[in-house]
Amino acid sequence: MKKIEFVIVLLLGLISCGSNEPKPIKLNVDSCDFCKMTISNSIFASELITEKGRVYKFDDASCMIKYAKSNSNITYKSFYVNDYTTQNKMILVEKCFFLKDGTISAPMGGNIAAFSNNQDRKVFQEKLKAQPLTWDEIYNLY
Amino acid sequence: MRTIFYILLSLFVFPIVSANTIYVGVGHPIKKIKQAIALAKDGDTIIVNSGIYKEGNIVIDKKIVFLGKNFPILDGQKRYEVLSVKADSVLVQGIKVIRSSFATLEDPCGIKVYNKTFVRIFDNYLQDNFFGIYLQNSTNCIIKGNTIIAFGKEEQLIGNGIHCWKSDNLQIVANNVRGHRDGIYFEFVTNSVIWRNISEKNIRYGLHFMFSNDDSYISNLFKNNGAGVAVMFSKSLKMFNNTFEENWGDSAYGLLLKEISDGYIFNNHFIKNTAAIYMEGTSRIKMEKNVFESNGWAIKVQASCMDNELVSNNFLGNTFDISTNGSLVLNTFNSNYWDKYEGYDLDKNGTGDVPYHPLSLFAVLTEKNPSSMLLFRSFMITLLDKSEKVLPSITPDNFIDNTPLMKSLPL
Repeated sequence: MKKIEFVIVLLLGLISCGSNEPKPIKLNVDSCDFCKMTISNSIFASELITEKGRVYKFDDASCMIKYAKSNSNITYKSFYVNDYTTQNKMILVEKCFFLKDGTISAPMGGNIAAFSNNQDRKVFQEKLKAQPLTWDEIYNLY
Repeated sequence: MRTIFYILLSLFVFPIVSANTIYVGVGHPIKKIKQAIALAKDGDTIIVNSGIYKEGNIVIDKKIVFLGKNFPILDGQKRYEVLSVKADSVLVQGIKVIRSSFATLEDPCGIKVYNKTFVRIFDNYLQDNFFGIYLQNSTNCIIKGNTIIAFGKEEQLIGNGIHCWKSDNLQIVANNVRGHRDGIYFEFVTNSVIWRNISEKNIRYGLHFMFSNDDSYISNLFKNNGAGVAVMFSKSLKMFNNTFEENWGDSAYGLLLKEISDGYIFNNHFIKNTAAIYMEGTSRIKMEKNVFESNGWAIKVQASCMDNELVSNNFLGNTFDISTNGSLVLNTFNSNYWDKYEGYDLDKNGTGDVPYHPLSLFAVLTEKNPSSMLLFRSFMITLLDKSEKVLPSITPDNFIDNTPLMKSLPL
């Protein structure tokens, strides 16, 4: 009986090792892995998860792209950016709708806002006078 | 002749005659600030008596002098931006501004200046606002003698104490900022001076520069801030006579220099920081006559730094004087005092006869493998360190101070 418990615990432990989920940002505690600045606003934050399951945190989507490009020896699994409308809600970049510039003011001047649906983007596009872009377009800017 | 006399007389007299003083508050007919501003003309003075004023967002849209008597309290009730300045040459003095609204997408402030010139904000007391004083696209403004206190915590959103954006020719003098995100924040600000401020216990940085050129900060005290002071992506900054104290933590630095060039760091004191200076992508900076005392690392130089010059600094009681992650040496060290120097001075000229290697073997090892810190001060490491000093193998052999001082400089 004890053996089974042990195996279950071990299995659970192993499962938690290979996590592919983004980690929540601890505001004013975590620092950006690219620019070293402390992250103080999670609506512009982004996360990068490697093939091995390591999570890198960034304060600005532009930092993530620059980091990915300058560390091309690491294999990346997924890119996450935070929803502009909600604190600490990471979404996969493939599922995002982006806006850039206008009156958006991100910590490192990337000025990229991400939305989980197109409706939100349309609302904010007018409000922020920003330009809609796709992830590929943004990725190729840096 | 007489007409000329009258014209001259009118020039002198009329401005004085036309400027009125409007009193607001207890014992005066006008009870509301908004009413007083509506009545005022350019050049008038409004004197607000002590009391609590809950009038929502107060907009000053005329060139007036706005004075508080015995610190009247302007309460934003956590719902409004408290005071908005939308006219040139306004003076705001002696007001207590509390409880601005709190938002994530807009930046509500205690006092905000919108695209104006020659605004002066003197001797106010700001408490519990999201942003304290915010200058947006303003020139020739002075912020002086204000006390700005917030109660920000970790994992909580809060704005900056003094936030300046796209501005020019500012003077930030003798303010006291506590408990905000960044004490003082400069983004796209040029030709400005930050002088004699105290910035302490802020959650992120005491002072933060982004994309700001040709500024200087002089004689400020930065103490106990979350991650010290950050100067990033800026050119031609002067940093004189400042004190950087007690910035402890994993990613905390006394002074974080990133992507900056052509600066001058003179006569600053770095005391009890995890890393006094962290440099990355920094070039053509001269550091002269600074004191590095009781820090974990005095200077962390990343390999991306070049043409920096360290002259006549005191290094006292630091765990590591220098650490670096590369083997290329593109920075020069001259005539510094290193308390770890064990050389001799036979010709008695005040400088040591053998060069000093400020980079210890162990500093290089911990940079590559932080957990090797466990072995610090063990017998083997001390032995290796000594042999490395004699015959450098892992550390770059040209990483030296050729003229180390025998006595510390009186700084």
